[in-house]
Amino acid sequence: MNRNQIAMEYTTLANGLKVVVVPDASAPVVTVGVYYKIGFRLEPRGRSGFAHLFEHMMFQGSANAPKMQHIKLINSSGGLLNGSTHYDVTNYYEAMPSNALERVLWLEADRMRALKVDDENLRNQRDVVKEEVRVNVMNQPYGGFPWLDLPPVAFRNWANAHNFYGDFADLDAADLADVQAFFKTYYVPNNAVLLVLGDVKADEGVALAQKYFSDIPAGAPPPFADPREPEQKEERRGEVEEKFGTLPAMAIGYTVPERRTTDWCAMALLDQALHGGRAGRMYRELVLEKQMAVEADGGIGDIFGYNGPTQMVTRILHKPEYSAEKTLAAFDAVIREIQEQGISEDELNQLKVKWRSDYYSTLEGGRGGMPRYGLMHLLACFTLFDNEPQLVNSILDGFLAVKRDEIQAVARKYLRPANRAVVFRAPAKANVKEAA
Amino acid sequence: MMATRTAQWLTEAPALSSERPVTWPKRTKTRLANGLEVILAESHAIPKFHGQLSFRSGNAAVVDRGPGLAEMTATVARTGTKLRVSRQIEEDLRRIGADLSSSSGADTTGIGFAGLSELAEPLLGLVNELAREAAFPEPEFERERRQKLEEVKLDRTQPSFLASERLRKVLFGTHPYAIVAPTESQVVAYKRSDLTQVYQEFYTPENALLVMVGDFDTAVMMKSVEKTFSAWAGKRPAIKTTPEPAQPKGRRVYLVHVPGAVQTQILAGCHAITRKHPDWVKIGLTNSLYGGAFNSRLVMNIREDKGYTYSPRSGVHALRQYGYFSVSAAVRNEVVAASLTEMFYELDKLRSLPVPEPELADARNYLSGVFSMSLATQDGLLSQLATVALNDLPDDYLETYREKVRALAAADLLATARKYFDSANMQIVVVGDRAQIEDQAKLFGDLEVYDAQGQNLT
Repeated sequence: MNRNQIAMEYTTLANGLKVVVVPDASAPVVTVGVYYKIGFRLEPRGRSGFAHLFEHMMFQGSANAPKMQHIKLINSSGGLLNGSTHYDVTNYYEAMPSNALERVLWLEADRMRALKVDDENLRNQRDVVKEEVRVNVMNQPYGGFPWLDLPPVAFRNWANAHNFYGDFADLDAADLADVQAFFKTYYVPNNAVLLVLGDVKADEGVALAQKYFSDIPAGAPPPFADPREPEQKEERRGEVEEKFGTLPAMAIGYTVPERRTTDWCAMALLDQALHGGRAGRMYRELVLEKQMAVEADGGIGDIFGYNGPTQMVTRILHKPEYSAEKTLAAFDAVIREIQEQGISEDELNQLKVKWRSDYYSTLEGGRGGMPRYGLMHLLACFTLFDNEPQLVNSILDGFLAVKRDEIQAVARKYLRPANRAVVFRAPAKANVKEAA
Repeated sequence: MMATRTAQWLTEAPALSSERPVTWPKRTKTRLANGLEVILAESHAIPKFHGQLSFRSGNAAVVDRGPGLAEMTATVARTGTKLRVSRQIEEDLRRIGADLSSSSGADTTGIGFAGLSELAEPLLGLVNELAREAAFPEPEFERERRQKLEEVKLDRTQPSFLASERLRKVLFGTHPYAIVAPTESQVVAYKRSDLTQVYQEFYTPENALLVMVGDFDTAVMMKSVEKTFSAWAGKRPAIKTTPEPAQPKGRRVYLVHVPGAVQTQILAGCHAITRKHPDWVKIGLTNSLYGGAFNSRLVMNIREDKGYTYSPRSGVHALRQYGYFSVSAAVRNEVVAASLTEMFYELDKLRSLPVPEPELADARNYLSGVFSMSLATQDGLLSQLATVALNDLPDDYLETYREKVRALAAADLLATARKYFDSANMQIVVVGDRAQIEDQAKLFGDLEVYDAQGQNLT
């Protein structure tokens, strides 16, 4: 078995900024990321959606690179850039020909040091974010389903349960003082990791990180809300109306074991058994065999990228001639079978080969035309959550060591009604009539 | 020597250092005796490989027998062979850590696959089996057809689908490119024998291209390819003549009414060119200045300045016989007219004034750099190699692309914009709630109104 080991340099600057450099000269391009340990979960109450709105503000200008300059400097260097907000981290990343590396590091350092934005920028990006929410959620069939629909049903702690894209009233209430306070609290070098991957030598990468970032002053350690959930005692259910779609839908989410435990590894393979595409038991039973559903897939999204309560989610769109209860019963039968029968040694071996193969693809995988996004993301999360980027080279071991009885055991322990939430998303009445 | 001391807080962006050349991967192109064209390129970043077996025929070639028939054929082809039932195929794929997809666009049908290098042979074997011995089991066909019926209904609830469906109808008229998806009754009319006929005609080695990129030794992989595919035989299908596309003149507006829509999807377009056209690189650069990059004029205007939209973009869509240019944005209902005004303003500006040299230099760098990045992953390189081969572009197309971009001058762009950004004849589609947007839409030309099912409501 070829095990794909990644060589890296990991260091921490005096101001607390963590730096990971992964040299790879196979192509004259380099990927840079800055990850801050702040996400949806930690945004202030009364300011739902703020972590994401703030992410937009980070492109609006810094002390020496006013509005438009960030985007212009990167694009005009032949590079691409973007950012994204997650539950526990927010990232900013660029990929470009390696001759632009210093320029990009300068930009990231400039905005880490001093965000410079005004009311006009905030009004502009608030409008942009509202159109983002409309195009992805409010004007889309099954928009936000289930990633926005499940958390308020599944969780009781506001950190885990609120609207991550933000209520429009909350977006409107956000002001420049909120922006600067958030920046000062969370966007400090000691709450971040810088990643440089690609066409750069390890010592050069570290030296450049020193050159551009080392005199940014450290801040106070940011406060972190406790994301723990009170114990769940019974199944939770909710309903959301589907405005445009023609098919009834449901999502079932089970809260997963704590990360980096034996149960978590077994749960990941159980997830593969249930949701691994057309070979997965959910798709096979509900779509191929019983033919009740049109879609039945899901899983633990971004399994390495969160650091608090999360769920394994199955998303089902089913044919209108089957009731929601009937469809849920068919789903339950799939769960029951694996709890009672477990899985065969042959199936376990298949799951492990596929998991390993998928893991390599995650490492190589690009995003929006940017190479090495996947590797960057894993390195960043392992650094911020575990202080151990080298986990990218060993994390696979735990999954490959899972045994048959452990899969059956986690199926029994975690796939219980009292550990799940179900959201039904039925088409609005008028809609059903029109489709008939 | 690299400076290791702490620099002062620099107030200006560092200059670019000199660019490193792209090292081209080891690459082989050959044709087997049965006509199968094979391209292999090595890329050793991960112990996997990506591949694509393409056939140079798609939905457009059989639209007279049934829209979407090639796609349906590709879908059912993976559900059973003479040797394996559907469940066996899916489990065998998982057993070798592989992913596989089969689909059909307007001009091309493809089996895409990716898997572990150590298990390349069994994956090639399965691809071969799907290409040559698909069994089209009746129950699988029936199930996929029912599935397709629901998908077709769902498509009609997607604003972006409704917009592109209408634009393609308007631009292409009676040409097969006018049809992007079947209707429900057309899906109901599919017969299993239609599928097997498409399969026999399309899935032949003379009609095929196999591209693989990944962690393998080229000589060893070529032996596997020969061993697996050389016994295959079949002719290239005859190419039928197609009607000329429509040439719509004058701006017209097509409103697709979606009751309750809280936003309007705008899509406007006109005819342009294919990848084979000598102006292809020019239109690519002109497009990236207009709305093809984050830094482009359109994005800066209607997103970063005015906040009308999250997602403005423009693109040139090359089909094999014809290409078209389009610009799109999902905007709030109150600013449909304002957004269209800015879209046309930026188009007309590019048609009227030469692009200033610094902006042009930035755009050249952008296109050239993004191109380099697209070669840096296995599936990125695969897609570039396949595009070159399927469009019959010259073998040195990728190697010379960046030079061609760098050679373009402001006069080239002005001429390109005047020729292809045909603002006077743009066809405008708006998908949204009629009551909220009709008055704004009709300011831009004669208006036709349709519902999501395609019924004329004008």
